[in-house]
Amino acid sequence: MDEPMHDAPGAQVKVTFTTNEADLQLPEEKRQLLVPADIRRYGLSRILNSDLMLDSGSIPFDFLVNGSFLRSSLEDYLNSEGLSLETNLTLQYVRSLIPPVFEASF
Amino acid sequence: HTDISSDRPLRPYDEALELWSTFQQKTQPLSQSLSSQLRLILAPTQSTKLSGSFRTGKRLNIKKIIPYIASSYKRDKIWMRRAIPSKRAYQILLCVDDSSSMSDENRSSSGHLALESLVMVARALTILESGQIGVLGFGEDVFVAHSLTDPSFSSHDAGARVLQKFTFASQGTDMVKLLRATIDNFREARLTQASSPGGEDLWQLALILSDGLVQSRDHARLRPLLREAMEQRVMVVFIVMDDVRDKKGHSVLELKEARFGADGMPVVRRYLDSFPFEYYLIVHDLEDLPGALAGVLRGWFAEVNA
Ligand SMILES: [Mg+2]
Repeated sequence: MDEPMHDAPGAQVKVTFTTNEADLQLPEEKRQLLVPADIRRYGLSRILNSDLMLDSGSIPFDFLVNGSFLRSSLEDYLNSEGLSLETNLTLQYVRSLIPPVFEASF
Repeated sequence: HTDISSDRPLRPYDEALELWSTFQQKTQPLSQSLSSQLRLILAPTQSTKLSGSFRTGKRLNIKKIIPYIASSYKRDKIWMRRAIPSKRAYQILLCVDDSSSMSDENRSSSGHLALESLVMVARALTILESGQIGVLGFGEDVFVAHSLTDPSFSSHDAGARVLQKFTFASQGTDMVKLLRATIDNFREARLTQASSPGGEDLWQLALILSDGLVQSRDHARLRPLLREAMEQRVMVVFIVMDDVRDKKGHSVLELKEARFGADGMPVVRRYLDSFPFEYYLIVHDLEDLPGALAGVLRGWFAEVNA
């Protein structure tokens, strides 16, 4: 039970995932998650797609936070809003409209 | 001392007073129940062991018979008696999480549940009437909300002054600082207690009331401090405030954490799996607390007295 994770952990943020996409709902017990604070859109997308979450292959997702698209790391977003790591952030995920070829730049 | 509190935000006194008396009234039966369960646990356990050498007693000490005869019946302290059980004194620190993850702003009712629990437990200990109670608050920093030597919570005023100090606005949850302050506080308190008679069997207990959300990277740093507490004979019980009545799936029991492994693949696991506290309770409802807490303490006493 106590063995360490593979990597040295950094700061974490607690997020709550929501979506309006009927076919991509998470079961209730998976909607809350602690994620690395330096995570960005692409990392969040990979976590959501993983077999432990939606098990949805590799659908590119975008994330809305307080009504606007997440364009930075969560940590940078919190800093720019004057919020701390104590914040429980609600992230609404939507299918990305950005062509996958640009994925790596976000 | 760890008090650095002069510029801390305070809840208005009248509001705090109202809160204290409402909670006290509401939780009165629970306080009574906890208090009587604790009384049984703290009562000196009847010693069944026979020992010593006395002129009269309960049972002969066989080893003393031959010297007794050899001394022409002069060395006649040949009886054993029951050892007299010692009375336990206690010092209890209630450590309340004042960080903003506990607040309504973060859609959490843990703060409310923690204050209700604080009032309930503080009242139970006041009814018990034989030890010292202190309250620490923690977030980014640690502050003393009520020191062990302050007057007890028999007046609403003392309680209100403590509740004033909890506003759940702190922008961090530093459990490492809390454990350091708890151990130091108890070390100091033990010294003052030792100079008074009957200080030998002092029981020191820290109850942490929190939503249980600690940065996972701190889990490993907490382990040596928990060991140190154990070596100082300080018992630490973590009480996770997990009020999930109308929020299905929001329990800390279900909470997972995601990381990227060495191979760059996402790994998801249960948050509580690396939680370092040996004694912890998950409380969904205040009604569960007296029984659950008494259960943990009973288990612990059985272990240390074994
Ligand atoms: Mg917190």
